[in-house]
Amino acid sequence: MLIHYKCPNCGDDMAFDSQSGMLSCPSCGRYDNIEDFSEEYITSTFSEDEANEYYCENCGAIIITEAETTATTCSFCDAGVVLGDRLSGSLAPAKVIPFKISKDEAKQAFQKWCGNGRLTPKGFMTANRIKGMTGIYVPFWLYDLHTKAKVKAVGTKVRTYTRGNYIYTETKYYDVFRDINLNYVKVPVDASRKMSDARMDLLEPFDYSELKDFKTPYLAGYIAEKYNYNNKELFPRVKKKIRGFIDSYIRSTISGYSSVQFKYKNIHTKQLHSHYVLFPVWMVYYDYNNKDHTFAMNGQTGKVVGQPPISKGKVAAWFSGISGSAFVAMKLITFFLGGGLW
Amino acid sequence: MVNQKLFSKVWFIFTVFVFCLLPIKTDVVASASKQFVYDRANVLTEEEIAELERLANKYREKRETDFIILITDDPDGKDVKEYMQDFYDDKYSQSDGNVAILAMDLEERDVYVAGFYKAKKHLDNDRIDSLLEQITPDLTAGNYYEAFHSFMNIANRHMGFKPGIDPEWIFFKWWFQLIVSLGVGALIVKMMLRHTGGKITVNERTYRDTNRSRVLQRRDHYVRKSVTRRRKPSNHSGGGGRSSGGGGITKGGHSHSGGRRSF
Repeated sequence: MLIHYKCPNCGDDMAFDSQSGMLSCPSCGRYDNIEDFSEEYITSTFSEDEANEYYCENCGAIIITEAETTATTCSFCDAGVVLGDRLSGSLAPAKVIPFKISKDEAKQAFQKWCGNGRLTPKGFMTANRIKGMTGIYVPFWLYDLHTKAKVKAVGTKVRTYTRGNYIYTETKYYDVFRDINLNYVKVPVDASRKMSDARMDLLEPFDYSELKDFKTPYLAGYIAEKYNYNNKELFPRVKKKIRGFIDSYIRSTISGYSSVQFKYKNIHTKQLHSHYVLFPVWMVYYDYNNKDHTFAMNGQTGKVVGQPPISKGKVAAWFSGISGSAFVAMKLITFFLGGGLW
Repeated sequence: MVNQKLFSKVWFIFTVFVFCLLPIKTDVVASASKQFVYDRANVLTEEEIAELERLANKYREKRETDFIILITDDPDGKDVKEYMQDFYDDKYSQSDGNVAILAMDLEERDVYVAGFYKAKKHLDNDRIDSLLEQITPDLTAGNYYEAFHSFMNIANRHMGFKPGIDPEWIFFKWWFQLIVSLGVGALIVKMMLRHTGGKITVNERTYRDTNRSRVLQRRDHYVRKSVTRRRKPSNHSGGGGRSSGGGGITKGGHSHSGGRRSF
């Protein structure tokens, strides 16, 4: 099933507009609310075979997609199309955060990011080297988790006092026990094989107040992917992700001790709910020194993540500059205290 | 026309500059004739004395202080401190001179270092003590010249520091400063490198449901205590061979700082 949005005015292809949050027509400037876009302008075609081949509703060309793709643009006529059957049944996302940052804004942000790299090579900062830019809806699982933690620890309080000719150090030992209920809600884990986990984690947080019920028009004009891993497969990863949070919460409930040594931590996490959602991410592909780099940007908040090329010369310059001035500063303090320069 | 004006201006500045330098130059020459090393036991060679005199001259100008070395093997039955005090009364009484003096008595094998006036302020008992600490091993080994040479250098260095600061503080050592600055540079650059990829902007509170997260049960039971004790470190370090005499007042009424060692 292929879904395509036609402008009720002029018949051109419509796409999602991140500024207004509506479907818009680039030709005549018409805007349509996604909630009440008339069904008659949504053309859905079913392919007979197992939906591995899709024909563009607009120009009739074959739309070539990867197995994960759920939304794309026709490579011949550039019309935004949504592959509906890859978004139905168990593959139907519950919610979506629509794009808020437009392509131009993402481009500007990327250029700004290139410019203020203090450790990036000089040529990198000025050149315009974007090879490609894609707005992708990345599949995420949002977990609501309930954790029960029972911990036992030995806490010490140390006090020193002087009596007569002796200094006394008194250490008091305490038996510490905590039974904790912890609930974490909407913890995101990316479910796409293509996206690096570490990079997607850095894109957080997303603003959940803008979570919308999923409607296919949000995807028009963007690339979207379906999940590669289901909620069961990713459960270990979300558990690992909140483990640090749990530990720091536990530690925050045990205060007033000079030292705390844990005897045991009994942590049990179970899943309450999980939701399949799509989050907006801008990917910018660029090359430097014949090497491809990617730059990712949170399509909602504008947060930028990406490992830029590092100039060894600049690293050395910063290192020697900072070390040198620290040395000079210390020499100056010495000098003003009367120590002379050598 | 313009060139000529400029030329005369430069010439004027140059002349003033030269005139400014002249008095300083003559002063240095005039002071060269003074004696700083009194080797009354003949332990130093001519060259060694000349070198020490040269150092004393150099430092005298910088610190406005005479650095004196007084060596005797026959102190007329006096203690080295008294011998040094009488020497000061004899040579410097009139002028209330700033003097840092090292007196060595080869008969009793005692060494005494004292500071008068400016040198009393800048070469206090603590600094003299640390100076003696550094040169006594050379004296014990009989390397008198090396010890005196170190005395000149260390006393001069200590004289530069403001009173109340320990000149031997590790912060003032160049190698310490080098290590610290390299460490600071490495740390900051490492942080910059780590931040190039993007910072983590979520924390423990981001996803926690505060209404349904709490401690159900908490126990903090006191179990036992242990007490250890150690003796308070005493302030008088006092030990073999280092009767720290401290300063004193000469018969002529000049107060000084000081310290002594046997070698």
